[in-house]
Amino acid sequence: MTDAPIRALLPAGLRDILPPDADHEAGVVGQLMAHFASQGYERVKPPLIEFEDTLLDGAGAATSGQTFRVMDPVSQRMMGLRADITPQVARLAATRLGGAPRPLRLSYSGQVLRVKGSQLRPERQFGQAGIELIGSATADADAEVVILAAESLHELGVPGVSVDLSLPTLVPALLTAFAVDDERLRAALDHKDVAVVAALGGAAASVLTALVGAAGPADRALTALDALDLPPQAAAERDRLATVVALIRAEAPDLVLTVDPVENRGFEYHAGVAFTLFTKGQGNEVGRGGRYLTSAGEPATGATLFMDTVLAAVPAAKPVRRCYVPMATPRAWSQALRTQGWVTVAGLETVADVVAEAKRLGCSHFLAAGSLVNVD
Amino acid sequence: MPSVDKLVIALPKGRILDEAMPLVRGAGIEPEAEFDNPKTRLLRFATNHPHIDIIRVRSFDVATFVAFGAAHLGICGNDVLMEFDYPELYAPLDLGIGKCRLSVAEPADLAESDDPRRWSHVRIATKYPEVTRRHFAARGVQAECVKLNGAMELAPSLGLCSRIVDLVSTGSTLKANGLKEVEVLAEVTSRLIVNRAALKTRPDELTGWISSFRTACEARRAA
Repeated sequence: MTDAPIRALLPAGLRDILPPDADHEAGVVGQLMAHFASQGYERVKPPLIEFEDTLLDGAGAATSGQTFRVMDPVSQRMMGLRADITPQVARLAATRLGGAPRPLRLSYSGQVLRVKGSQLRPERQFGQAGIELIGSATADADAEVVILAAESLHELGVPGVSVDLSLPTLVPALLTAFAVDDERLRAALDHKDVAVVAALGGAAASVLTALVGAAGPADRALTALDALDLPPQAAAERDRLATVVALIRAEAPDLVLTVDPVENRGFEYHAGVAFTLFTKGQGNEVGRGGRYLTSAGEPATGATLFMDTVLAAVPAAKPVRRCYVPMATPRAWSQALRTQGWVTVAGLETVADVVAEAKRLGCSHFLAAGSLVNVD
Repeated sequence: MPSVDKLVIALPKGRILDEAMPLVRGAGIEPEAEFDNPKTRLLRFATNHPHIDIIRVRSFDVATFVAFGAAHLGICGNDVLMEFDYPELYAPLDLGIGKCRLSVAEPADLAESDDPRRWSHVRIATKYPEVTRRHFAARGVQAECVKLNGAMELAPSLGLCSRIVDLVSTGSTLKANGLKEVEVLAEVTSRLIVNRAALKTRPDELTGWISSFRTACEARRAA
């Protein structure tokens, strides 16, 4: 026998979403998907679970440590439960949609499951909604994805969206060029701990501390990056970033842009300009994305929004208008109300006090002889 | 860019605060008079900037408040940063205050006969279980940590365990308790820390404060 309170307990990081939040989430996802679709992104729906070796191939390798695994009793092969949908879409683009015309614009939404949450964001299951733009290596593709993601949040009424652009390939390239790769140095770069970077940076110390110092508002950061003497490959990355910033500025002049040339965490599979979406007043990022290569070696870029943090930033849902319809009311009457946007709640028993019953069921009105009556 | 949003600065109670306040004031932030009243029960203080508040909490909690975005800026030692390893914290400025080191210490007589290369397992009393575990794991030693919040120096003499990991500045407390510093895990100074999301969403404002603190630090070094 299990007690009711214990039966309510869910594993860490998992939760029930109740009314009205569940409906709100579905509505927000619907709005996002409609926005993506309106700009030519066609929806795909990969399965929740697939073979480990295809799920964790290429772009998926970075999610290996976050993936739940289970043995498939049918094929006797190991399967993984997706921790991220992007690698699945990249797989689709490389295989079944390999022959589809490029650039290929795809969108998706679904739930993901992760082995561990973080202290700041303990959710292990959450929804993702995103877009992938496959088969174009241009800066315009980079800019399109950033603008579309930011615009879709803006359209939901999320205030103060800002985009932090980063170049995850820059630091590894520099560390290799200067032969100073060190785990503690990378950790210090991640934390922008200038003192430790200066101490461990060796020959690269001055350029690395300058990179850390360059992080900030986009225009200032680009000026600071321009002043640096970078190896040719790193310089090319920097120029690409400047082009992308100029393209975004031209299309979305009001978007707050920052640049962080040393940001590297969570961008392990990225191969070019990457970005993180923040909203003012929210401690957590609401989405991220960037350029990567599919398992077929095709250039691609994309953006993923995290529905749990997006929902926290979206203004609360407007309460629905609920009307109590007493038992034995003709169906045509309540149908007429529904066509006007009312939610009807049907009585299943005859009650003595209709007003009290309507209030008890969270209705602001009830239907009496075909007309609405306010309960207050 | 005028911003009306609240900005909260978390400062650590105790030892570091005395060294930190000249820098906070040097950066142009002056707390209300009650801040200097040692008997005050207030935890949150207004400043000469209407939108900036100062909170005073334990140094471990400074990191937590800033990591979760409850405070936007803070001052705490890199010992605390190492222990928590919060991904949401940036430490863009070494303030050069609160200098000390995080060290392993053991009874003086044990230190003479001990050969650390033969260890497979040690038991250690510390306020820093994560740092300690990581440090010894890197050497192939399993560290079983007993978490204490203070008076670590008592643990060896009372038989709780034979070694401790703790902050050492002059070494006089260790000496008074018959302990000897045998290994330094890290040099410690206090950092200006900033919440990652705050730095991204309010870049002009926060980089402005970081550079004010940098100027205050340089002025202090020059003096």
